[in-house]
Amino acid sequence: MPELLQEYWLLILAALVIGIVVAWWIFHASRRTRVELEDKPSESGGAKRNQALIDAPPVASAAPGPISVAATADKVAATSAIAEAGAAVSAREAIRKTADVPPGETPEAQTARPRTEETAQADDLRRIKGLGPKLVSLLAEHGITSFAQIAAWDDAEIDRIDAQLGRFQGRIRRDDWVAQARFLAAEDIAGYEDRFGKV
Amino acid sequence: MPIWMEVFVLMLLAYMAGLGIGWSIWGRAS
Repeated sequence: MPELLQEYWLLILAALVIGIVVAWWIFHASRRTRVELEDKPSESGGAKRNQALIDAPPVASAAPGPISVAATADKVAATSAIAEAGAAVSAREAIRKTADVPPGETPEAQTARPRTEETAQADDLRRIKGLGPKLVSLLAEHGITSFAQIAAWDDAEIDRIDAQLGRFQGRIRRDDWVAQARFLAAEDIAGYEDRFGKV
Repeated sequence: MPIWMEVFVLMLLAYMAGLGIGWSIWGRAS
């Protein structure tokens, strides 16, 4: 046995080193990666993937306008039906009432006005990490256009919205949109960057 | 026992010892 050790000590030492390296990888390196994922979601591979999604060309960027106008029309139709107790009000008249458009204006002007009003109040939701153009349009379909709205979500609301995000399900909690939106709604950029990295 | 098997067993033991050393350093701490 001692002769064997003398002859093959290099191989045995190599096996020992490999054992130590494997143990280091199992007990140290892989754990450290997991902790980094939890502590700094912005630095992880997920954030890179999200950035790729953000950089991707907008697929349905034109969607929010017409859809939100339609939504407004629905809302106004509902409220006017209550207020005027069954009076027959068409959807076009309803839009006219909300936008205070004189009857002489063109249909383009009527639809353009609520849209510009909406964008004036809307925040650039893409500043939230993990929220790309596709998600912005999806959220706009549900009337969510500002940081304050997202910041006010509770668990039930998150579940409700999350269920409608299709293949993006789980993003809200994974990227902690609510906390991000709180910082951004309060314009607390320092606090945001401290927790989530550069805006 | 053929010599290659003795070497193999020694290497295996050394590998296990390496794992043990690594565990005692990085595994117990967390």
